[in-house]
Amino acid sequence: MTKTQIITARLALLALVLGLWQVLPSNNVINPLLLPPLGDVLSMLWTLLGQPRVHEAIATTALEVLVAFIIAVPVGATLGVIIAESPYLTAIFKPILFYVFSVPKSIFLPLFILVFGIGFPQKVAYAAFTTGFVVLMSAMAAVESVKADHILVARSYGATRGQILTRIYIPSMMPILLETIRIAMIFNFTGVMIAEMYASRTGIGHLIAGWGENFQMQQLFAGVILLAATAILFNEIIRSLEARCSTWRT
Amino acid sequence: MQHVANLADRRPQPEETAIEVAGLSHVYDGPDGGVPALQDITMSVGSGRFIVVVGPSGCGKTSLLMMLAGLRAQSRGTITCYGRPIPDPDPKRVGVIFQEASLFPWLTAVENVEFPLSLRGDPKDERRRRSEAMLELVGLQGFGARYPHELSGGMKQRVSIARGLIQDPPVLLMDEPFAALDEQTRMTMGHELLRIWNATRKTVVFITHSLTEAVYLADEVLVMSARPGRIIDRIPITLPRPRTYEMMATDVFGKLRDRIWQQIRQVP
Repeated sequence: MTKTQIITARLALLALVLGLWQVLPSNNVINPLLLPPLGDVLSMLWTLLGQPRVHEAIATTALEVLVAFIIAVPVGATLGVIIAESPYLTAIFKPILFYVFSVPKSIFLPLFILVFGIGFPQKVAYAAFTTGFVVLMSAMAAVESVKADHILVARSYGATRGQILTRIYIPSMMPILLETIRIAMIFNFTGVMIAEMYASRTGIGHLIAGWGENFQMQQLFAGVILLAATAILFNEIIRSLEARCSTWRT
Repeated sequence: MQHVANLADRRPQPEETAIEVAGLSHVYDGPDGGVPALQDITMSVGSGRFIVVVGPSGCGKTSLLMMLAGLRAQSRGTITCYGRPIPDPDPKRVGVIFQEASLFPWLTAVENVEFPLSLRGDPKDERRRRSEAMLELVGLQGFGARYPHELSGGMKQRVSIARGLIQDPPVLLMDEPFAALDEQTRMTMGHELLRIWNATRKTVVFITHSLTEAVYLADEVLVMSARPGRIIDRIPITLPRPRTYEMMATDVFGKLRDRIWQQIRQVP
């Protein structure tokens, strides 16, 4: 199959799914109360996007996601690099981190509510906690991907410790770090959503949970489309950066 | 080939000593106490000479080279390079070329070559100019913009040699640089190395497993024993230069290679 054929097939599949989403509920094949037709959902999305309440929720969620991300990525990456760089710390922390990593983080949510309440700090703290773990583990893997040969070459040319960090470590780790940032954002977004849906006064997650409880399916699906589109957009931006590194990635 | 002429003008005086090693021993810390790796190595390398070190695997050849490069400290004994000890890497005195070309995959060929200069913070124009000149010296003009994964094994090693030469150090240490190459490329690269050496007159310490390569390249072959590595023979290679492929078929060449083989074979 040529590339064009593959793309055509993908678009056809997408059109089919969206088409069925419109046609089946409109003709009562699927109960439109459970799955409203796509057209109704899109017009609802348009209406919602005009409401100040929704604007406020989007702004809140976006800020939570952003702040949690800004905290989690540097902190997680730094801790990961420090641990991975020291054989002593690696020996102590690696098994512990693996154990803790296997525990679903959502079970700690009630604990976060007790400590931080149900406002902005709790969303950020919980999302940063779940994301930080992923970043930390990936940063450790990224350090392990740095080749000892490359460090030796740099040292033989008189590189200082700082130069080894910036000239060898960072570029060696870049492919894994970019992938980490992408995955971190997925976890981060998920963390904020779960926290908002669990207990909150505002935010997109809170609205979606409310629409679900009140059986407002048009609003619910509009929210899902909005979130899905945002998440995909971010993912694709990072992926295009990753692709630029992939030429030399081995 | 202006730059080659410039390099040749600065040829060190032949009577000068480039590397002096005296009573060098090394013991590694192992789980069951110390593991003796090198024992009482004494050697003197005249400036501009091409010395090849051969020996069985694990005899400490690479360790010795790391110590000559200031990348690893020895337990006992002294190393001086142009009269001064070398406790840390000093790219102005010693360039190292590793077994795998060890090029940085995120840099192009020309960026790899100028890497040592960029560490020093040389201006970009200057280092690009010298880097291009080095690529020309190793026969890779026009390949500067390629990434390592776009180069063949032999080309990668040429880039690595260019990188080792760019700071114009008087000493070049080479740790089995052609070991990963196929036989034909290896022969070509050996010949190329002699051409480059002839143009630059570096002092070379070259490690190899290949006896043919040793005899073909060297002024003198040092044979090392199995661990703990000692120098058990020093064989002057009297074949005239420039060396040619035809020499490999001669009696003298065969006898020299055989003498090394006898030495290595005796090792238990």
